[in-house]
Amino acid sequence: MTKLDTLLAGLARERSTGALRVGRSGTIFLSEGRVTYMECAQTPSVERLLTARGRMTETALRALRADGGCARLLQEGSITPGELQYAVLGAVLDAAFFLLPMSGTRPKFRPGEEHWLGGQWFFDVAGLVRECARRRAQLAEIWPSAEVDSLPVRPVERLPGHAVTLNRVQWEVLVRADHQATPLEVAKRIGRSGYSVLLAVRRLAAAGLLAPPMPELPKRVRGERARPPHDREAAPLPLGPPTTGDRTDLALLTRLKKALEELS
Amino acid sequence: MLGIDTCLAEVMSIPGALDAMLVDHTSGMAVAFSSDSGVDADRSAAALTEALRATTDGLARTCPGDVVRIDDMLITTDKGHHLLRPLETLFEGPLVIYVRLDLERSNLALARHRLRSISSRLTT
Repeated sequence: MTKLDTLLAGLARERSTGALRVGRSGTIFLSEGRVTYMECAQTPSVERLLTARGRMTETALRALRADGGCARLLQEGSITPGELQYAVLGAVLDAAFFLLPMSGTRPKFRPGEEHWLGGQWFFDVAGLVRECARRRAQLAEIWPSAEVDSLPVRPVERLPGHAVTLNRVQWEVLVRADHQATPLEVAKRIGRSGYSVLLAVRRLAAAGLLAPPMPELPKRVRGERARPPHDREAAPLPLGPPTTGDRTDLALLTRLKKALEELS
Repeated sequence: MLGIDTCLAEVMSIPGALDAMLVDHTSGMAVAFSSDSGVDADRSAAALTEALRATTDGLARTCPGDVVRIDDMLITTDKGHHLLRPLETLFEGPLVIYVRLDLERSNLALARHRLRSISSRLTT
């Protein structure tokens, strides 16, 4: 269990109500120990989904939020209760997937605070953690290397085979991939959940449609010896530090010997 | 205008319905399920997602030149019918309504009709 999990489990046991702010990464809203809403800076929120899909304008949404909130949103009829519940469910799970493993910043809990879209769906903390683990396992099953999750999406120039079947998200990812953007950046551009884009990218990788990652240029660190090129024929490097007949080395050894003798 | 729970209740009220489930197709997660069914909801949701994905992929290869969009999927076994209906919603999804129907007591045409009407009330 990571630290954030433990903290959340504690809040759940105490049946706390309020908002847990995790630095700038996101906020978790709880109501009587159950998670009602979660925001993560890396994934689209429900508000973003509503505006990105053209359901309503940002100004209309802000007005709703200030006056009437959720009840009025449903009353005006641009979204059904089921759709809103499903959107909250999806957005929270997506945020949890990226937010829960985070550590570093010290989370701050503010009791009593609520999110205006909270109360649509109640998650118990253990269930959330379990679902995140299941999603991680699902990703690993498709393509075991997590490397593609954070590297820029670089589709191959030519198909390795004759034909390929793509699903909707994969198509959108390929269209928007500019060889610079990472999967989460692509997710923001196409307005889809981070997890669905990770799934698509891993499937693309498994199908051999992504170019292998660029080899990182070796960093030159002053004073450190360059790594010798791999050569099976070459004589093996000597074990231990290089030995010399240098004066300073000899002096150091003598001092060390003397110190050891004084100890005994 | 249905919520998730009321939607599930409506699906279960289709004549001959044995169990029902709402599945998030992207992740293969069971969003809601009728509790008395005795099946492992998480596993069956994941399996149904795979079945639907395999069907979509298969159809995409059998109908070259067409963009495949599944309205509903029906599987009939010796024990009953399985109906799947993917729904486009605000959140990507699709959200899949699944219902298992009794072979003897159900009426397929009625069930499909009811599913259509339920889905039109679940989404705008």
